[in-house]
Amino acid sequence: MAVCIAVIAKENYPLYIRSLPTQNELKFHYTVHTSLDVVEEKISAVGKSVGDQRELYLGLLYPTEDYKVYGYVTNSKVKFVIVVDSSNTSLRDNEIRSMFRKLHNSFTDVMCNPFHNPGDTIQSKTFDGIVSGMMVPPG
Amino acid sequence: MAQCVQSVQELVQDSFVPMVAVLCSEEAERVTRKNNLNFAELLRPFCRLTSEGHIRDPSNQVQLVKNLRICVNNVVTSPNPACAAFSPAQRRLLNEVVSSCQPQEGAATNVITAGDYDLNFSDHCVKASVPWYSAWRQTLSEVSTSKHYTATTPWFEAYRENFLQTMAASEHEFLNHYLACLLVVSSTETVPVEQFLKLSQEQHRIQHSGDYTNPKWFIPNTLKYYVLLHDMGEGGEQRADAVYEDMKQRYGHQGCYLLKVNSRSSSAEDDEQMPDPWSQYLHRSNMQNQVSAALIVGLIVCGVLSPGSLHALSAEQPELKKGGRDPESLVGAAGSHGACLTLNDHDHIRQFIQEFTFRGLLPHIEKNIRQLNDQLVSRKGLSRSLFTATKKWFGGGKVPEKGVSEPKSTCGLLYPPEAPELQIRKMADLCFLVQHYELAYSCYHTAKKDFLSDQAMLYAAGALEMAAVSAFLQAGAPRPYPTHYMDTAIQTYRDDCGKSDLLCRIMDVFITVKQSSFVPTSFIPLYVQDSDLRSALLLEQAAHCFINMRNPMVRKFAFHMILAGHRFSKAGQRRHALRCYCQAMQVYKQRGWSLAEDHINFTIGRQSFTLSQPENAVTAFRQILTNDSRQTATQQGAFLREYLYVYKSVVGGNEDRLPQLPLPCIHSSATRVYFGHERRLAEGEKQAATHVSLDQEYDQDLAAMWGHLEEQLVAAANRGIVPASFQPTQCCLNSQTDNLRRPLAVAEEPIIVEVTFRNPLKVPLALSNLKLLWKFTAEGASPSEETAGEAITNEESLTEGTDTVVTTQIILEFLMGPEETKMARLQLLPRRTGQLSIVGVVYNLAAAPCAETQAVDFMLVRGRQDLKIQGPRLNQTKEDKMLVRHGLDRRLDPIITPPMPLMEVFFLQFPTALLCGEIRKAYVEFCNVSAVALCGLRVASTHPDFFTFGSQGTTPLTPVSPTSAENCSAYKTVTRPPGSVASEMLVSAGDFSQPSGVMDIPIDGGTLLPGESTQLPLWLRGPDHEGVHEINFLFYYQSTEKGTQISHRVLRHTVFICASRSLSVQASACRSSVPPHHRLDDGGGGTLVFVDVENINTSEGGVREFHIVQVSSSSQRWRLHRRINPASDRDCKLTSRERAKLCFRATRCRPPPGTHDFCYYSDGHVASEGIISSSTPCGDFFFRGCRSPESHRVGGTASRTSSSSRIQEGRAADISSIVKKCNELDLHIIVIWKAYVVEDNKQLILEGQLHVALQTLGKEVTSLTPKEEAQEMVLLKFKPEAPAPVAPPSAELSQLIKTNLHYPETHSHPFVQESLCVVPVTLTLSNCSSAPVDVLIDLRHKSPSPESVEVHGSFTWVGRTQYKLQLEPQQVLCVTLRACFLQAGVYNLNTPRVFAKPTQQAAVCETSQQAASPALIIINNA
Repeated sequence: MAVCIAVIAKENYPLYIRSLPTQNELKFHYTVHTSLDVVEEKISAVGKSVGDQRELYLGLLYPTEDYKVYGYVTNSKVKFVIVVDSSNTSLRDNEIRSMFRKLHNSFTDVMCNPFHNPGDTIQSKTFDGIVSGMMVPPG
Repeated sequence: MAQCVQSVQELVQDSFVPMVAVLCSEEAERVTRKNNLNFAELLRPFCRLTSEGHIRDPSNQVQLVKNLRICVNNVVTSPNPACAAFSPAQRRLLNEVVSSCQPQEGAATNVITAGDYDLNFSDHCVKASVPWYSAWRQTLSEVSTSKHYTATTPWFEAYRENFLQTMAASEHEFLNHYLACLLVVSSTETVPVEQFLKLSQEQHRIQHSGDYTNPKWFIPNTLKYYVLLHDMGEGGEQRADAVYEDMKQRYGHQGCYLLKVNSRSSSAEDDEQMPDPWSQYLHRSNMQNQVSAALIVGLIVCGVLSPGSLHALSAEQPELKKGGRDPESLVGAAGSHGACLTLNDHDHIRQFIQEFTFRGLLPHIEKNIRQLNDQLVSRKGLSRSLFTATKKWFGGGKVPEKGVSEPKSTCGLLYPPEAPELQIRKMADLCFLVQHYELAYSCYHTAKKDFLSDQAMLYAAGALEMAAVSAFLQAGAPRPYPTHYMDTAIQTYRDDCGKSDLLCRIMDVFITVKQSSFVPTSFIPLYVQDSDLRSALLLEQAAHCFINMRNPMVRKFAFHMILAGHRFSKAGQRRHALRCYCQAMQVYKQRGWSLAEDHINFTIGRQSFTLSQPENAVTAFRQILTNDSRQTATQQGAFLREYLYVYKSVVGGNEDRLPQLPLPCIHSSATRVYFGHERRLAEGEKQAATHVSLDQEYDQDLAAMWGHLEEQLVAAANRGIVPASFQPTQCCLNSQTDNLRRPLAVAEEPIIVEVTFRNPLKVPLALSNLKLLWKFTAEGASPSEETAGEAITNEESLTEGTDTVVTTQIILEFLMGPEETKMARLQLLPRRTGQLSIVGVVYNLAAAPCAETQAVDFMLVRGRQDLKIQGPRLNQTKEDKMLVRHGLDRRLDPIITPPMPLMEVFFLQFPTALLCGEIRKAYVEFCNVSAVALCGLRVASTHPDFFTFGSQGTTPLTPVSPTSAENCSAYKTVTRPPGSVASEMLVSAGDFSQPSGVMDIPIDGGTLLPGESTQLPLWLRGPDHEGVHEINFLFYYQSTEKGTQISHRVLRHTVFICASRSLSVQASACRSSVPPHHRLDDGGGGTLVFVDVENINTSEGGVREFHIVQVSSSSQRWRLHRRINPASDRDCKLTSRERAKLCFRATRCRPPPGTHDFCYYSDGHVASEGIISSSTPCGDFFFRGCRSPESHRVGGTASRTSSSSRIQEGRAADISSIVKKCNELDLHIIVIWKAYVVEDNKQLILEGQLHVALQTLGKEVTSLTPKEEAQEMVLLKFKPEAPAPVAPPSAELSQLIKTNLHYPETHSHPFVQESLCVVPVTLTLSNCSSAPVDVLIDLRHKSPSPESVEVHGSFTWVGRTQYKLQLEPQQVLCVTLRACFLQAGVYNLNTPRVFAKPTQQAAVCETSQQAASPALIIINNA
């Protein structure tokens, strides 16, 4: 499962970042931030040709030595990034996809909360729970 | 060199140049040393050939050699084999090269805009329109359209150049092997020829003995070029010429040269300007000297250099080192280079190089190419066939040719030097060196094939690389650039051979080319390399590639910059590291990536500090600390310590201008300013007025309320007019108060400033020696001119004498917990008049000492923070709305005025809980604590009916001091004989009523002298409603002196009174049915007053019983007579939930002249004592109590009638007004009670009074107003409602006249004798109203209900059954009726129906006067 899950706002500031080994938090921040370039590239490449219907799932953004970074962009340009351990070969594309879908649904729920101010960082227990469910169980 | 940007072609050309070795004799070395240069260095500036050379290729075609450069190096031997890794010396060299090359300060900035990022490169910038770019564009179509800007990195170019030069020669290629050797001998040598011979042997030994692997030689028979160096300064030119002639004989004139130098004496007095071509190469030559210095031991062993020259070299070392360190001294050192050379000598050298290249080197190369070509051609047929045959023979198995000692690994495959494959390669390299790229390419191509077939991967890769390069360099190439060659080469280098340095060479070239899309992907593994410096440089270049892509990848750029910065710092390149981090910071800055931002800031801070740029370091650290950091506590603690350390070192010892501290955050706008002393709330039994304190929250409504009270007071003090300049007194200023004008503070009274600190960190902070900073301008100086009044400030911490102006309080220690928001109250005591402005706070900041770390104590820095308060945003004019403008906020700029009176108010025996209506006596003490007399003491309150000081005339003689008055009743009593007539007293209302809620406080003499205090009694009455009541008092006083800046002062007091239920009084009045003429008194109509008293006290233990002591009344027109209750319950006691009914008669009395005078009647209940209800506490409270509801009523009602219904209503109003007037009863009832309360086994008697105002007859009035129900929401109506039909107010009309039936109660009648019994009945009609009334009496039975028909069926009215009468106002009329009975029985006579209507009105609204009660008559049969 994932080692880091991030939600990035349209303006490219983090709405939510959670990573498993907390001591490496900085590294994941860098990783996620850097991945935004690839996301942007992918969006701009796709956006012109297809038009209205765009595949939200962007697939593997780039591999690093230890991690694989996957991306997903909602129609409102909110980006989801999931970082997965490279050693975890059991994860298929489809599973990643479903993880993103789940994340997106939960994110939509957060947005539907009338007390949530769009643009604020996400502070929702439900969302936390969903994310924790997708992270590697510690130990 | 480093500053200019070469084209790629030039770069590649310059990277691969013919290498020439130099062997110098000792004497020759000495000659060149005069110029502070060795021979190779001497030649270096002239190594580029300005003229074109020619060479014939094997097919005898002339090939042009343009712009050739040769590289001249001293022979440096090393016995150990060249390894892939750098030697330490080499590393150091590269390090120095890079670190000495820094971006220029203040160079033109280059802004790259990528998306929403604006990146700023303060480096030297070049547009992409440089020549090589357009050339490159033809080959690389994919980048053709983009517009590129590039930030050049000169240090990288320098590094690349040096790297390529110092790269160890390798086995598989020959490009940097020495092609020729210059043997240099001085003409001063005794036998130069012998010396030549020696050097020649030396060269031979180096090349062929096999002792040394490091200087590699291209071809076995290296070209030896004999140079005779002649020092012109030492003369003996003939001899030199002779030797040269001899040399010519011996070596041929193409193989030797006479170089004449040093034609200027070194002590030349005229210092003419000489060009210094060496300076450009200087740092490099210095570095190389250092390299050689590092290898000195090796040199001694080799014996190449004699000990003497070694000495010279080592003596030079310190200076060189110094030169290498700082670029400034480099310039100074440059002057000494070539001091003995004239321009002529320069020309000589240049000529010499030209001669050597064209006569010696190029022919030599040409010859060798030809030879190699011949060899290959002759060998080709044979070898080819042979190889293929063997291959076939062994079934295509891998056959490593001539592999004697080769290991299994393919990359370790070594060819012996004479192998034919290497010959091809050698030839290719030669061709490449002389710029014959076409031939080179084909040779490389062939060689590559051979190597590949032999699986010699390293060699193949080398060949591939060079093939690609030569294809690239081929001008107007017929074939496209073979990208895949390069790819394969990279792949091979990387995967198979681990030749990282070679790979780097490729990368260097390619990064320069900026073939961006290509570089980052294939070189990622290279970033993690052994050499930090190299990977740092490469990462940086990769980062630049990212930013220069068509879609600039800003974040990747930033990330790679960070990686580069990290590697730079590991490599010790601090400056570069800092630069990298700073550039990356631009991307991360303020975009919410706080963790990354903190990391970068921290690194920047550290690097800046180590680079002794502490200001930058402080800024960076400040950023970390002030940002809302998400770091852990330990991390933040580390940041803080680091910051403090850096800060301390910045500030150092100078304390005169304290710098700003970032921590803790000051919430400026929350700053509150309080003028005055902090108050003690209680002092023994005395309870001080609450006034205002900093502990209270600001409440807009409360402030408005106080403001209103103050306005009333000021109006009262100024005869009802509020002066235009009136401004409510503000003792405590905060963000919500009106701070537009400077507040007024009083000298000798403290100013307390509450500053809100917030610790954003998760670690505790310790502030100490916290105090306010202020500036003071003495009085007399106008505020506009700063020059006139010298501003005194306490900024200089040790300035003496500021205490005489303003005393500053210091808080010694102020600890702040993690993420705590804490207020500090800092006090100033102004002593002189003038203008004060509070500037900021100054304090020592330290990390709070933890238990385990005591050593942090020294980490204590002093700094300040300014209090900058921004006023509220303006929103008045259009400009204000369009822009963001803020108003003034002057709460920190008080004006100090001369001393003012200061009063304190204390309350004694002030209760906190009262029964509703309870009267209690308390005392109030006024104290003038200042040195100025005060006067005009007044008080205003939100509940004026709550208290009284007693009215002037009627104040009872109660003891003024509270102690002696313990058990006295609050009321004034008189002893009266029991059962005496109700006393009655006429009282003027003017004695009690005050024009408004403002009361003058009756103190003796009206003034309070300094230090004086006075005590006054104060009566309190519990509010009528139960619950907790907040009662506000505002005391007003002013100075006895006139014309002070502060016109008056006020003192606030707020009490909370808990009122609990006592009695409920319900009163109603009804018209007595007794006809007036029965009465003793004059006519007017008697009225019965019923008073229901109920004990509704709910507290269990408290009140045992209530006694109704007295019921009094107050009215202008009515008087209350004695009660008509049975005498049995004389003293009316009420225990819990008991109820008593009292009945009184009231009669009308003529209003005395003077309309505002009130009559008092009292009816004694208690035998011994009667209370004079007209005197102080009772009367005061009565008047206060009855005024307030009236005023409420006036304000409360508002007519909401539409105009359409006016007329009808007018008529109805007319009737109702008549009717109302008839029913009007303006009678106030005062019920005075005593309550017996047991408290702490002691019986207390409480007293109190309740008021009821009877307004109309028949209406029940209660002292407890019914609980106000929440006002129902009114439906919003969009069209006016149809006017409701005006129903005649029947109920009220029925009150117009009063009817009484007078008849004998029993009547005996002998029904036997006479069957009809006629009884006369008198119907008395009395008009209660003040208008004439028409009355209609109808005696016919017209009962609507069948039941009544049944009842009354047995008697009839006889005689006239209908009367029409008119009654004048207040007239009483009797009508005699006759009732006829048929048999004995009990009858209800109350059947006449009486209709009444005001005379003026048409017969619209006749209403039956219903007599409700039955009038029974008993008819007996006699």
